[in-house]
Amino acid sequence: MKQIRLQINEAWRTGWANPGQTLLDFLRNELNCTEVKQGCGKGDCGACTVMMNGVSIDSCLTLALQAEGAKILTAKGLGTKDNPHPLQEAFVEKGAFQCGFCTPGMIISAKALLDKTPKPNRDEIRRGLSGNICRCTGYKKIEEAVTSASERSSEQCDDRELKD
Amino acid sequence: MLLREDGKARLIAGGTDLTLEIRDHTNKFEVLVDVSRIPGLDRIHSDGYRIHLGPLVTMTQVEESRLLKEHAAALWEACSWVGGPQIRNRATLAGNIVSAQPAADGAIALVALNARLKVLGVKGERELMLSDSYIGVGRSAIDASREMIIGIEFEVQHQGEASAFRRMAQRKAMALPQLNCAVWIASSAGYCTNARIAVGPVATMPFRARQAEGYLIGKPLTDETISACAAAVEEEVQPRDSVLRGSGLYRKEMAEVLARETLKLAISRLEGSLV
Ligand SMILES: Cc1cc2nc3c(=O)[nH]c(=O)nc-3n(C[C@@H](O)[C@@H](O)[C@H](O)COP(=O)(O)OP(=O)(O)OC[C@H]3O[C@@H](n4cnc5c(N)ncnc54)[C@H](O)[C@@H]3O)c2cc1C
Ligand code: FES
Ligand code: FES
Repeated sequence: MKQIRLQINEAWRTGWANPGQTLLDFLRNELNCTEVKQGCGKGDCGACTVMMNGVSIDSCLTLALQAEGAKILTAKGLGTKDNPHPLQEAFVEKGAFQCGFCTPGMIISAKALLDKTPKPNRDEIRRGLSGNICRCTGYKKIEEAVTSASERSSEQCDDRELKD
Repeated sequence: MLLREDGKARLIAGGTDLTLEIRDHTNKFEVLVDVSRIPGLDRIHSDGYRIHLGPLVTMTQVEESRLLKEHAAALWEACSWVGGPQIRNRATLAGNIVSAQPAADGAIALVALNARLKVLGVKGERELMLSDSYIGVGRSAIDASREMIIGIEFEVQHQGEASAFRRMAQRKAMALPQLNCAVWIASSAGYCTNARIAVGPVATMPFRARQAEGYLIGKPLTDETISACAAAVEEEVQPRDSVLRGSGLYRKEMAEVLARETLKLAISRLEGSLV
């Protein structure tokens, strides 16, 4: 066991990790970040996606100890109920989930995509989300939500530019 | 550090293969040495003669590299096929090589590019050709408990050369390749002067179709010779029946189609680079 420190959604947290323990297990069971979901546990489904130091990763394929000192972003860190992220708003508005199990991972992959490609086309969205599986929605609404969020984010930027 | 643990330790980079081994207890390691956060090991650069890739270069980095798109299109294409974005952000080429899967996309492309590995171990540094690093399915001559790949190198692309990669799979992303193929070709005045064709997974390791290569060298690059070369590839490969990838016979026939398409893609780039 080793004590590690890492930043989760901008707050420093400390916890005990085993050498072979995955980041996923550590986040859920040691730090109680249950918004990070466990699906397949082997890199196929993307439910466990988080951003680590600015890039999306499957937390089930990363060891907790490899995340020591890292900056982690989970779906919870994107926004709050009162102040949601454009992606969160768009997912709600477009009905881009049913059971919701895939959503925290899906939304983080979408965020990683928009960080690199602010205005993705359909193929870019599909490729950006290709590491995430959804058993309910059939992806169409997710695609629409991402498109809508990308338009929204750029509107927000435009607003800001006008104000400046 | 590895040296001190004398074979009981194991390197871990992106962990996309190794984490699964740990989870499934298929392998027991007493000590894991995480190299994934050592700065400076993820460089991609050219010295004008060779292109050097650091041991931590990930699939995403290859995909985003303009240098590699220009000089190693096969590698650039192959890496963009690996898993999904989350996997590509972590998976390293060095890990792809040491895991030694005969279907590994990155490694297939590097075999066609005739890549050489720099390895650091107890006895100092050694170099070996990537194609000599395979001992069997999942078995690499590089012992990750005592040695580390510290560099992957291949020649820059000269005038009249080109490369390409294609693969056949059931889905566009996150799928096991049923077959993949990488081609590197050199030409002069419409004639093939040198060629390397790598195919996977049709043997216990990435396979070089040497007879097909031999046939093509010295021939004019016409539709006819390309088809004959692709037929020679089909002749040479021995894919096994696989529940997941398809029957051996089917994949043997498809090897011809895939080889032909990959050759054509590489040659189309040749023409591009000639003008
Ligand atoms: C869901 C999923 C989909 C995938 N899809 C594809 C695909 O489409 N195509 C494909 O080719 N691969 C695919 N892969 C496998 C691919 O991710 C790995 O082969 C990856 O490239 C391994 O790199 P890594 O850094 O994660 O290695 P690790 O898992 O960290 O290590 C792998 C092995 O390499 C050794 N090692 C790592 N770095 C070094 C070094 N510098 N020197 C010596 N030894 C070293 C380790 O000790 C270990 O034995 C997939 C994997 C997953 C989980
Ligand atoms: S739980 Fe990590 S990818 Fe499925
Ligand atoms: S909403 Fe149920 S898995 Fe996606």
